[in-house]
This record gives sequence, structure tokens and C-alpha cells, in this order.
Amino acid sequence: MNAVTRGIRNAFRNIIRTSSIVIILGLSMGLALSMLIANKAVGDKIVAVKASVGNTVTISPAGFSNFSQVNNALTTSQLTKVNSLAHVTQLSENLTDRLTTIGSSQTSNPFGGGNSSSSNNQTSLSSPVTLNPDSGGGGGGRLFLSGGGGLPANFSPPISIIGTTAPNQINGTDITISSGKSINGSLDSNNSLISQDMASKNNLKVGSTFAAYGANLTVAGIFTTTNRGASNSVIISLPAEQRLSGQSGEVTSAIASIDSIDNLSSATSNIKTTLGSSADVVSSVDQANQAVQPLNSVKSISLYSLIGAIIAGGIIILLTMVMIVRERTREIGVLKAIGASNLRIAIQFMTEAVTLTLMGSAIGMALGAVAANPITRLLVTNSTSTGTPGVGGGGGPRVGGGGRGAFGFVRNNFSSIHAAVGWNIIIDGFIAAIVIALIGSGVVSLFISKVRPAEVLRSE
Amino acid sequence: MLQVKNLKKSFKSGDTIVAAVNGISIDVKDGEFASIVGRSGSGKSTLLSLLGALDKPTSGEIKVDGQDITSLHDRELIKYRCQRIGFVFQGYNLVPNLTAKENVMLPMEFGGVSKNERQKRAQKLLDQVGLKADKQKRKPAKLSGGEQQRVAIARALANNPKLILADEPTGNLDSQTGEMIFDLLHSLSKTEKTTIIVVTHDQAIAGKTDSVFKLKDGKLDKRNK
Ligand SMILES: Nc1ncnc2c1ncn2[C@@H]1O[C@H](COP(=O)(O)OP(=O)(O)O)[C@@H](O)[C@H]1O
Ligand SMILES: [Mg+2]
Repeated sequence: MNAVTRGIRNAFRNIIRTSSIVIILGLSMGLALSMLIANKAVGDKIVAVKASVGNTVTISPAGFSNFSQVNNALTTSQLTKVNSLAHVTQLSENLTDRLTTIGSSQTSNPFGGGNSSSSNNQTSLSSPVTLNPDSGGGGGGRLFLSGGGGLPANFSPPISIIGTTAPNQINGTDITISSGKSINGSLDSNNSLISQDMASKNNLKVGSTFAAYGANLTVAGIFTTTNRGASNSVIISLPAEQRLSGQSGEVTSAIASIDSIDNLSSATSNIKTTLGSSADVVSSVDQANQAVQPLNSVKSISLYSLIGAIIAGGIIILLTMVMIVRERTREIGVLKAIGASNLRIAIQFMTEAVTLTLMGSAIGMALGAVAANPITRLLVTNSTSTGTPGVGGGGGPRVGGGGRGAFGFVRNNFSSIHAAVGWNIIIDGFIAAIVIALIGSGVVSLFISKVRPAEVLRSE
Repeated sequence: MLQVKNLKKSFKSGDTIVAAVNGISIDVKDGEFASIVGRSGSGKSTLLSLLGALDKPTSGEIKVDGQDITSLHDRELIKYRCQRIGFVFQGYNLVPNLTAKENVMLPMEFGGVSKNERQKRAQKLLDQVGLKADKQKRKPAKLSGGEQQRVAIARALANNPKLILADEPTGNLDSQTGEMIFDLLHSLSKTEKTTIIVVTHDQAIAGKTDSVFKLKDGKLDKRNK
């Protein structure tokens, strides 16, 4: 028996009180741990998102919006100037349009807007996207029917057609050619790339043809992609789309690749100067910053909650120890009267505090391990749903121009935030707990040293 | 072995200053069994706390075996309380969460005695004060007042002190048990050759001691025997 074992034993002296303290402490430690884990997970994600955006500059016509895709488009001649700027290694230009299925009821387009510039934008293809308006998010994204009511029986959602000088990606996501070959994006031809889903839906193979804009397009290759929306797309070369849609020289968006991340901001401002007010110019870093904005707020919320929970834990253990010491003043006096030093008594009470805190931490660890992921998700979902445009919603028929791709990319990545409970976090947690306990009982040592042993002789 | 000269201790309570011990001089010989009597508030407990170095006097001198304990530093004071003094209180003051035996081992732990030695000596002392083996493992709440006071006496003897100070050790006990406890102290003073100073209200008890100091208003009123 020594001061340490006495301290441990004293921690169990009053079982009801010990249990309540341990539970309250456990809750605050659990909250602290969850917040620590959430903070770390979100922080890692922010770093990962920023690291993965690359060094590109997205150029779109000023005031561009996904819902009125066609307004004052950019022109190829404007973009040629961009291509010749320093540090621009590659420029991918896109012209996006929507095709409706021949024979499909389109009298009341449930998507509103989105009418093409061409009156002739019809295709023989049917969309592989199946829509189920009764279950909002089902097939390809959340749909809101204006005026309510069901969809016509033969309704097929519009199909996105992308004319691009970089036919190796859609919306910033790389595509994989599963059969046939890719096309040359700068060459005007009727060759096209369609998705695997589109091919199966319309019974098309490499070499098959289909109608669009009243012309016959050939399937040169079939691709697969991880981007859900992209399966509803047809890819052709930029000059072909300009010709077919009658938008000669026009471009809806462009992505300039910059040689290095260090030149990104200077290149971005050069492009801005070159294009003037006719274009919105956003670098991938700006975009990532904008996209991770909600994550940044989650990060600070979790940091403040973490600090709050640790302070709460510290206060709980401090008040508990003050209560215990006041209750045992006489006992402390007796220990002093029979020859115990202040230090020895303080060690005994510190051990008691550490024991209580460790039990609380054990409960906190269990709670934290269970709650960290749901809490992280809750925080991320709540703040990203009210976040920047392009972060919420999205999907299916809303295949935007290439320029909006990065947002979709980031949003997809939010759902993959995983709060992991690592050993280092648990060890940090335990160390924090012991520090809290020692600070709490350090204050208590002061109380202990103030107890006068002579008081033991009084008022018996 | 104990010489007290012109000892004073005063307390401030509010604006007034209470002279609890107001110039006491006494002598106690080695192995003497002395008692202190006096009305409530006459300064008996205060005097005892000064003798046991639980408190520092305002002025005066306390010599134990020729050494003035009023000038000891904190660390020496702790050692003095641990090694030279054994305290017995009216309210027993055992540590509630420890067994009888563990309570007796406590001062030995503070004095740096090995665990093995502590256990042996605690058992021997408890046997000596007449606490049966099965009760040595009990916590204080499961012992009667008389039994608790026996444990307290064993604890006071643990480090073989030169001086035992007992503040109304029979005050909470019925007269029969009180007498047994007093007889125990009395016989220990003979067998262990320990000097004992006991504060008491009981004239009959005081009558049995070697010397009686009667206090009145913090002063020595008279010395009998
Ligand atoms: N810590 C203290 N603060 C203020 N007054 C005290 C203190 N200790 C003792 N006294 C006063 O000193 C006087 C003597 O007290 P005490 O020695 O306890 O008497 P006794 O033990 O003889 O009953 C009393 O008037 C008491 O109120
Ligand atoms: Mg008294």
C-alpha cells in the first residue's frame, strides 16, 4: 500500500459518484475525440483536394450558368490568343449542347431552359438515363417537374453532346476507351465517342451510325467512365460540333493547362487580361479553395468543439477534485498529523484524478470510435448542402460544360471522407486526458497544502 | 524530556485576538504519564497541537530532548511528527477507506519502513492493543468506538515514538470502555517506556496519572503531584 494504490482505491470509494463522473467525463472526452478525428479527416481531405486539382485554368463565358447554357459564347479566335500565352501548355476547348430524342415528348420540357441554339438538335439516340420522378435521387439525379405531374410515357431525357479538342475526358474526369479508338478533337469529322451505357441502350457497336442534327454520326469508340453524368454524353470533335450546331467559331468553355503550379496565378491573370470582361477565368486552385470552403468551416467548427470539449473535461475533473478534497479535509489533516508530506498526499489525490480520467477516457474512446464517423458525416453534409454552387445536387441530365467539372469532382470526394481512429489519435487522447487530470489535481495540491493539521483537533 | 517555556499562541478571529495559550511553562520527565485538565476552551487542544508540531506557537519555546522544535523547517517538522510523536484523537480519526491494519501501517509507510516489516509490526501492535485478528481486516465503520480507539492507539505507537499526545481519547466512549482505553494507555506507557500526555475531562482518570496540569484561560492554573 502506498500513495498510488491508495489513490486508485479512493477512486472507487463512492461507486455511484465515480460512475456518474466517469460517464460525464466519458461524454466530453468522446466528443473531444470525435472532433479531433473529424478535424483531422476534414483537414486531410482539404489537403488532398487541393493537391489533386492540378494546375489548370477554367475559362467560361461571363455570366455562364448551367441552366442557361447558351449565351454569349467564347470564340475560337479569342482562345487562340490564350493558347499562345506563356506557360499555357495545352488548351482544351469545348462546345456543349443538348440533343432531344426524335419522337420523344418535349412539348413541356421538364428541365426548363436548356434549349439549344439550333432548332434542329434532335437525335436518333435514346438516353440510357432512366428517370423515376417518384424517388427524387433515383436514376440520374434529383428532378423537379415544373407544374408537377408525371413524365410522358415516351419521355427520354436530353442527351449531352460535347464537342471538344480534348476527347480524352468529360467534365475533368478521364474516360477509358473500351472498344474502338478515340477521335481527333481538332479534326472536323462525323466520328463520335459514346458511353458503354449509351451503346447498350441503343444497340450500337463500333462502326454503327446514328442521327444527330440531321446528319449521320459514326461510333468510332465506346468509353467507360466513373463520372455518372458522362454516360449520357456523346463526344465529337470541336469543329464537328461547331459545324453541326451552326455555332461556327464558338466555344462554351475551355481549360488551359499551365506548365507548373508556381506559374498558375500569373498565368491566370494573364488570361484574364487577354479575355477581358467577356470571360470568367478561374484557376483550379481558386476553384478548389472555393469548393473546400464548407470543409474549412467544418474544420473550424470541429476545432472549436474539440477545444470546448477538452475544457469541459478539464473543468469536470477539476470541480470533482475540489469537491473530493473539501470533503476529505479532515482526512488530509490526519494524514499530515501522523507524518505525511504535502507531496505524498498530493500524489495520492493526483492518482485518484488520473484514475477517474482514464476510466472516463476509456468510455470516451469507445464513444469517439463509434461516433466519429457519423459526426464527421453530419458536419460535412450539413455545411456542404448550403455551400457553394456545384457542390450540392448535380448528377444525371445536368452535364455541364467542362468548366464545372472540378466542382463535381470535389463534391464526389466529400462523400469519401472517412474519419479513421488511429492509434496515434488514441495515444494523443490518453496523453491529453492525463494532462487534464494532472492540471486538475495540480490546483487541488494547492488546497491540500493549505489544510492545517491542527484543525483535526478542533470541533470533534 | 519535554520542557515548555512561556509558550504563547493566539488566534485572530475577526477583529479580536484570542490568546488560546497564554504563557505556559511545564516540564515532563522521560516516561512520565501526565494529564492536562481544564474547562472547555481553556487551551488544552491548542497546547497539544503545539507540542505535536501541528501548529507553530506565536512565541515561547518547546524543547524535546533538548532540541527546540519551534525552529524546525517544514521537512524536519514532518519527520518530527512522523517519528517522534504519536497522536490519539477524541474522534479516532482513522482513514475510513483503509482497514484497521492498513491504518496502523500508514505512519510506517511515511517513515520509510519496508512493507514486510510494516505488516508484521502492525499485526503485533494490534494484537498488543487487543484487537482480534478477524477485526484487523475490517474498515473503521465496521468497528465499535472502543475498537477504533484501540486501532488509533496502535497507529500512534507504529513508529515507536518518544511522546504520545492524546486529546480526550475517552471522550466519545462510555465510561467502562473509556476506562479500558485509559488502562491500555497506562500500561503501554510502562511497557513501551513512552512519555504520554493525555487531555481529559474525567477527574477520576486524571487522578491516576503521574502528574496533572490544570489549565485556565490559556494559563497553567496549578500543577498537582
Ligand atoms: N484556529 C483557531 N482560530 C480561532 N480561535 C481558536 C482556534 N483554535 C482555538 N481557538 C480558540 O482558542 C481557545 C482554546 O481552544 P482549545 O485549545 O480548543 O480549547 P480546549 O481544547 O481546552 O477546549 C478557544 O477560545 C478557541 O475558540
Ligand atoms: Mg479540545
